[in-house]
Amino acid sequence: MELLIIALALGLISFIIPRNSVKIFGLIGSLVSAGIAIFHLVNYSPESSVTLYENHSLPFGMTFHVGYDGLGLLMIALTNLIIPIILLSNYNNSKTSESPMFHALVFLMQFGLLGVFSAEDGILFYIFWEFTLIPIFLILYWFGSGTNKVLLKFFIYTLIGSLGMLLSFIALGLQAKSFDYVDLVSVQLPAKEACWIMSGIMLAFAIKIPIFPFHTWQPDTYTSAPMPGTMLLSALMLKMALFGMIKWMLPLAPEGISDLKWIILVLSVVGLLYAAIMCIKMNDIKRLFAYASISHLGLIAAGIMIFTKDSLVGASIQIVNHSLIAVGLFLIAEILESRLKTRNLNEMRGTATLAPKFGFWFAIIAFASVSVPFTAGFIGEFTLLKELTDFNTWIGIISATTLVFGAVYTLRAYQLSMFGTPKIDSFEDLRWNELAVFVIISISVVIFGLFPHLISDLVGPSLDRLLAIFNAPTSL
Amino acid sequence: MEAIIILFLTGIIALFLGILKQPKLTTVFSIIGLVTAGFVHYFPLDILNDKYNILKFGDAGNAFVVLAIVITGFIILIGDRGFQEDKAHIGDYHALLLFSLSGGIILLGFQDIFMFFLGLEILSIPLYVLAGAKRQSKESSEAAVKYFFMGAFATCLLLFGVALVYGSTQSFELERILEFTSKNSVGPMFYVGLLFILASFLFKVGAAPFHFWVPDVYQGSPTVFMGYMSSVVKLVGVFAFVKFFHIAFVNVHEFWTILIAVLIAVSMFIGNLSALVQTKFKRLLAYSSITNGSYALMAILYPGSVQDSSLWIFMVGYGLSVVTLITISTIVNDENDDISSLKGIGYKNPLIGLAAIIALLSTSGIPPFTGFYGKLMIFSSVWTNYPWLIILALINSAIGVYIYLKLIMTFLSKENSDTTPKLSITILHQIVLIACILILTFGWIFLAIWK
Repeated sequence: MELLIIALALGLISFIIPRNSVKIFGLIGSLVSAGIAIFHLVNYSPESSVTLYENHSLPFGMTFHVGYDGLGLLMIALTNLIIPIILLSNYNNSKTSESPMFHALVFLMQFGLLGVFSAEDGILFYIFWEFTLIPIFLILYWFGSGTNKVLLKFFIYTLIGSLGMLLSFIALGLQAKSFDYVDLVSVQLPAKEACWIMSGIMLAFAIKIPIFPFHTWQPDTYTSAPMPGTMLLSALMLKMALFGMIKWMLPLAPEGISDLKWIILVLSVVGLLYAAIMCIKMNDIKRLFAYASISHLGLIAAGIMIFTKDSLVGASIQIVNHSLIAVGLFLIAEILESRLKTRNLNEMRGTATLAPKFGFWFAIIAFASVSVPFTAGFIGEFTLLKELTDFNTWIGIISATTLVFGAVYTLRAYQLSMFGTPKIDSFEDLRWNELAVFVIISISVVIFGLFPHLISDLVGPSLDRLLAIFNAPTSL
Repeated sequence: MEAIIILFLTGIIALFLGILKQPKLTTVFSIIGLVTAGFVHYFPLDILNDKYNILKFGDAGNAFVVLAIVITGFIILIGDRGFQEDKAHIGDYHALLLFSLSGGIILLGFQDIFMFFLGLEILSIPLYVLAGAKRQSKESSEAAVKYFFMGAFATCLLLFGVALVYGSTQSFELERILEFTSKNSVGPMFYVGLLFILASFLFKVGAAPFHFWVPDVYQGSPTVFMGYMSSVVKLVGVFAFVKFFHIAFVNVHEFWTILIAVLIAVSMFIGNLSALVQTKFKRLLAYSSITNGSYALMAILYPGSVQDSSLWIFMVGYGLSVVTLITISTIVNDENDDISSLKGIGYKNPLIGLAAIIALLSTSGIPPFTGFYGKLMIFSSVWTNYPWLIILALINSAIGVYIYLKLIMTFLSKENSDTTPKLSITILHQIVLIACILILTFGWIFLAIWK
């Protein structure tokens, strides 16, 4: 339980910390919560599922039940480890790093995310899911440059999706007489109803991931968000949806999958192709990374829909990889934007000659992003592509083009911004905190690239259990 | 029963205390009266109940009585500053509010149509006066006259309906009507009477197609009394509506449920779509009260809603959000009542900003605030029988989020936030705002303790 409480407590304490010490406090606090997550990780024995707190005495079949299995623990640890990295990369940001309000909102966000990843009750999951919207909305509103229109679109778009999910949970919960995860999973549904329930849940996730054609809120929101806000959104908040697909959508209404599988699969693949093609001609670097994120997540979503052991393991590895890469890429975008005062790639030139360290680490992150061997992306994407090809050759072939396009747009961005004769005289090279972030990200990406079993051993047993649920009704 | 007498006596004494022209004294006295009444109601003395067993509350009724008393207490506390400028009449205002509340409590416990009618009139008549309390303002007089005529008309309809129902069932008591309808078949006269009663109820709670008075009356009335109308009157009205129909007319429910379901759907769209374009704060709240009133009315569509916690939790969330927003409106005390004058108020005073965010998020049904649980429980109870209504309600929730989010953005607008002076608020307003924040944030505790 201390996992959740510490994030909430940090959030509330941050409100009253004086301005000049809040960034130290934030960093130390987030490291403490990361330490707790590592403690849980060390003490976790695979195949067990841990209950943190359970209370069934609420009316209407609601329960307060939080816990985790391997997959949940992976996401919890990811959240608690990414938050310090985000705060570290934000350490010298004049706009946000000295604001107690900002740190409070980040920790409240962390609390919401941890709740989503550990909820074992449909309504509780929904409550935490919606709760995360409030801090991110306020971060975007107070510290971002977005117009009211962009923010309203973001909030209402994602909220409408969530209402579909709530409706599905209610419909399912009334049949199960309880909203507890185990009870919800055990409900047997006729195929048509399962199809509706699954579409309702999928609406929430499709908008959050976002899957084509629900992605229109995302580029504007990313572009106008402050750097840590973008990182929170793409590194952690979108992962809620992918996690939700694995843990909630497929097991709750497995009867509906045969009807919806192809629709979601095709939309994901169209989305990943579309976003990758958009990226090639994109000149706004932050927007480019936003579309790249759509492209990468589309591949993960397509992989999850196949729902085999390997595809889910690949998806888990890719979720971790994408979180790390997203933080790195958006930090790069922020460094370029804040020092050159532009996001336009055509106006940047020759940064590498002025700032060689930056050029080197950008290259590392760029290679990790295009999934060269020895990085986690290589393992993740190739597992996903192999599973997609096994499922259907054409889908596999089309998805594989994302690798080519990914290399094209990432390296184009690198080339345009780094090479050539510089337009400007000086460019401040990496500060210590930025260097630290790049080092941490690169090392972790390589570690997970060389030892992917660190992740697959953790999530394997719980994925087996999910697959057992999934396979049960078809054998009936 | 004792609680009503205590409230009534407090009202009369407050009326005379007004002669002293000491607003603080009157306020303190009224609050003490309210607190005593609340305690006496919750821990009954049983002096009078043997002789006067005409009122029966039940668990839910008791909870509603406490809620109504608490909200009225908040309203009196908020009104403190507004009343002080009008020292000569502060006693009148307190007395009228307390009289109206005692009528409301009768409405929460009635067992027959006779008591019901008494309660309804005691609830309404003081409000006709209070709506016109700002005597220099044309709008306020308009509101009073309009409210009085509309109310009187609704009462006429009600009496006519009651007469017809009595004519066909030979009883005023709800249980007897239930008994009669289950044993005998009823003629068209009964149904016509039912329709008249339904119309008058729709008038009282401000649902379509009888909602036209709501925006004008709410906008014209003094802010504090508008808060009372849209919180206490609404919760009492909806509770009485549901109770009346659930007991007396339950045997003919095929006749009225579908009708009410359609009217609910219409009124939530009317409320929300009109609220979209409002520029006046009180008018926006009036339209939003039409929508929220229709969410609450959904409680009539499933059995047991006046016994379990769903309607009550919803009303806690809605009532206290209204109190918070009314408090903010009173603090700004802007005569023209434009939404644009509320710009950046969150920066002038962080407590106001926090309270506004929480109240608006709670009304729009975002978890983890209290408003969400109420909506969730009502919606999930109605889902089995009227899925189409819930889908429409969720669409309306999304529209509502747009409306309230725009308000939040206005409250937190950064425009000239550096130049604006800080806004200091009185200790009473601070108490009310903090209490509202706590209740709206920790509403789930009510879920856990309600048995």
